[in-house]
Amino acid sequence: MSNVLRPYLSAVRSTLTAALTLEDFSSQVVERHNKPEVEVGASKEVLLNPLIISRNENERVLIEPSINSIRLSIKIKQADEIERILCHKFTRFMMQRAESFIVLRRKPVKGYDISFLITNHQTDTMLKHKIVDFIIQFMEEVDKEISEMKLSLNARARVVAESYLAAFNV
Amino acid sequence: MILLEPHNYIIQTTLAEKASQPSALDVQFVDFDGVRFRLTTPDRKVPTALVLSMSIGCWEELVRYGVLDIFKREYGSALRAEPEFGYNVSLDLNLEQFPPEGEQRDAYIKSLAMLKRNALAAPFERSFQAQRQLEAAGSGQGELMALHYRDEEVIYVQAAADRVTVIFSTMFREETDRVFGKVFLQEFVDARRLPTIQSAPQVLYTTRVPPLEIRHLQGLNDTEDVGYVTFVLFPRHFAKPDVAEATITHIQLFRDYLHYHIKCSKAYMHSRMRYRVSEFQKVLNRAKTEAAVGDRKTVSGRTMSTR
Amino acid sequence: MSQLAPIICDNGTGFSKVGFAGNSDPSFVFPTAITTRGPAAQPSRTGPALSSKPSHLASKRGVEDLDFFIGDEAVANAQTPGYGINYPIRHGQIENWDHMERYWEQTIFKYLRAEPEDHYFLLTEPPLNPPENREQTAEIFFESFNIKGLYIAVQAVLALAASWTSGRVTDRTLTGTVIDSGDGVTHVIPCAEGYVIGSAIKHIPIAGRDITQFVLNLLRERGELANVPPEDHLKVAGKIKENYSYVCQDIVKEFRKYDQEPYKYFARYEGEHAATGRKYELDIGYERFLAPEIFFNPEIYSSDFLTPLPEIVDSVIQQSPIDVRRGLYKNIVLSGGSTMFQYFGQRLKRDIKQIVDRRLEASAVASGSQARSSGLDVEVISHKRQRYAVWFGGSLLASLPEFYSSCHTKAQYDEIGPSICRRYQIFGSAT
Repeated sequence: MSNVLRPYLSAVRSTLTAALTLEDFSSQVVERHNKPEVEVGASKEVLLNPLIISRNENERVLIEPSINSIRLSIKIKQADEIERILCHKFTRFMMQRAESFIVLRRKPVKGYDISFLITNHQTDTMLKHKIVDFIIQFMEEVDKEISEMKLSLNARARVVAESYLAAFNV
Repeated sequence: MILLEPHNYIIQTTLAEKASQPSALDVQFVDFDGVRFRLTTPDRKVPTALVLSMSIGCWEELVRYGVLDIFKREYGSALRAEPEFGYNVSLDLNLEQFPPEGEQRDAYIKSLAMLKRNALAAPFERSFQAQRQLEAAGSGQGELMALHYRDEEVIYVQAAADRVTVIFSTMFREETDRVFGKVFLQEFVDARRLPTIQSAPQVLYTTRVPPLEIRHLQGLNDTEDVGYVTFVLFPRHFAKPDVAEATITHIQLFRDYLHYHIKCSKAYMHSRMRYRVSEFQKVLNRAKTEAAVGDRKTVSGRTMSTR
Repeated sequence: MSQLAPIICDNGTGFSKVGFAGNSDPSFVFPTAITTRGPAAQPSRTGPALSSKPSHLASKRGVEDLDFFIGDEAVANAQTPGYGINYPIRHGQIENWDHMERYWEQTIFKYLRAEPEDHYFLLTEPPLNPPENREQTAEIFFESFNIKGLYIAVQAVLALAASWTSGRVTDRTLTGTVIDSGDGVTHVIPCAEGYVIGSAIKHIPIAGRDITQFVLNLLRERGELANVPPEDHLKVAGKIKENYSYVCQDIVKEFRKYDQEPYKYFARYEGEHAATGRKYELDIGYERFLAPEIFFNPEIYSSDFLTPLPEIVDSVIQQSPIDVRRGLYKNIVLSGGSTMFQYFGQRLKRDIKQIVDRRLEASAVASGSQARSSGLDVEVISHKRQRYAVWFGGSLLASLPEFYSSCHTKAQYDEIGPSICRRYQIFGSAT
């Protein structure tokens, strides 16, 4: 991990850990409903202040806490057209498999590339700090993966072009 | 498999099989760039008499560029005067007159499997000849030959005194392909810096703006999706007949090659992503507390699942 | 450019059948095997061999994943040092998507030589395939290959469609019972109006491979294989199964016939050793009718599976909803190479008919001869295209004009995503 990235990630880590104090909370609007309040958004008083941690204009994290759930959205660095496409492909690939990533949202919040939704039910059944670990590791590796994919695409393109042109050398 | 093969695999395998065991058949199949083939035995009782027909998108243009001469040269009397209905060219094949089993027969079958390649060779052969004449004359430009080989894509071939220019217009229907394609094409342009392939044709690549040679043409698509790839072939690429043959074979597969590799890269990306996703999965699984209770089964042995 | 023929891909556990719609036979039939660099995958899934170290320098160069063989070439290169063979499909379902994606890649570009962007595709899936698998397939075909349109059909339904070519079929219905017997396993699948009745499907662990093994055992017992080189044993047994076997109507009578006139019924097999060219020959006797008999009397071969095929078929139909049973009895369709034995259909029909008649009789007696059934039609359809019935059914359906409107198109995929493949539309039947 580069040194520039570390403060950013540790800020996310501590904010997220602090925000992950969730409790069971029944809906005040509909009887016998118990829904993630941050998604419902119907009772303003149980929503806490959303917070943006921003590394630069292209990379930021939005954390929206509420009494029984928290939503975390990530904007991933996309320096150029290729990274934009790769990032889009990768996040879509993951969200397509959201079923197995219990905390992953199927759709990102507007303006972000990928979102997670953690509810009190999940913090009850899973280890809280490990969930945080997962999100931090995801953030760490997604950048790396995208730049690696870009590199390998370039390398591939080069090999392909060379093999094609070399065939003219008869 | 990095390079695509120039011949049609179905023609090759089917003919090889039928040559040793003739039997009635009627199959239709395709090749890249919308080429359709049909291989039949018109008379079921005479399984040794086959007809191989091909339909190709830009037939009129090819005829203008002298494809019939090439076919006569390659296939001689096998070429039918009147092609089968719905096709552009038909060859009469007689399995009894195939060369004896062995290399000779393989070579003959292979030449039949190159039917599409030979068709598309017409404008190239003509331009190579034109270049020779122009070189003798000292200057001038040959005819600009356009080949609408696909619905939205065209090959232009033009001879000049010292070279032959081949321009492919490329079209990407999808955003991802466009971006990947750009990366690939840029590498084609840059690859020539490598000392080992200095003698390869020069490659130029532009988006939207057509190259000078074809800028005067009407009705060119100038949207963002369109790109132009120019290959500049020098006499060393086609001076010797065998080199010229290889060059023609190779250059006409350019588009298919490019698209093949774009698709392979996407497949590669998919396998990377699958791996990465399963890694993330493992990380997340560490957060799960209780050791999984193992599959609970019902009496009849079915697994229960929790939602 | 006129519309190009759709591509039909029937990827089975053992063999893949691929070709273009409108033809009567697949252009290629080859093993669903892929030989890649690195060791063969262990039977238990250990993850993709190639991408397990994607960040290593070796793969930075980036084209190692193009170094592989599929089909017959895969089998031929399986022993090459540094390579390992993998079977991406197990029990009809795709297990290794990385391998499958590359398998398709080479099928399309090397063998079919088609630009996938110009074609519609018809793929097949086994019954009870989870929808997630269908989504992943769609993801590969639309995103990697940019295909024009995709239709994923259930194999059993295609087998029903293939039976429309039989002269005995008058109405093009998609209701019927499919008996699909390939190399590894035999399925009995009831379909109603093009939808599989999942709860009633039954599998029989007896199929082509077992028949070959049984023939081999019989030949060994009679000592016929003494002068056959050991490496040819399996091949000889396979040839005898394919070329000399038939289903008899009465096993006892058949034995008697053979004993009375052995010269008339015993056949002679002549073979040649592939490597040495040494010739050998052997007599083929009771194997001729005993081989397929294991479907009808499994106890002669297996000790743990004892239910004869006709009984299975009957119980499958009895487990289906009552209002389709008549249709299921009336249209029992055979598919797959192991149903190709001569007289197989007749024997099956007779046996099922007996079971049905016995039941009707019993119920008539139980009701005190008050209610008589009007009888029940049992019909077993066998036809010329049985061997590649699933592929042929696909070829037939994809040549219909409705095919294009039933496909999921690229535009729809881009709009909605892979979930479009959860829905699928039946078409082509006359009813």
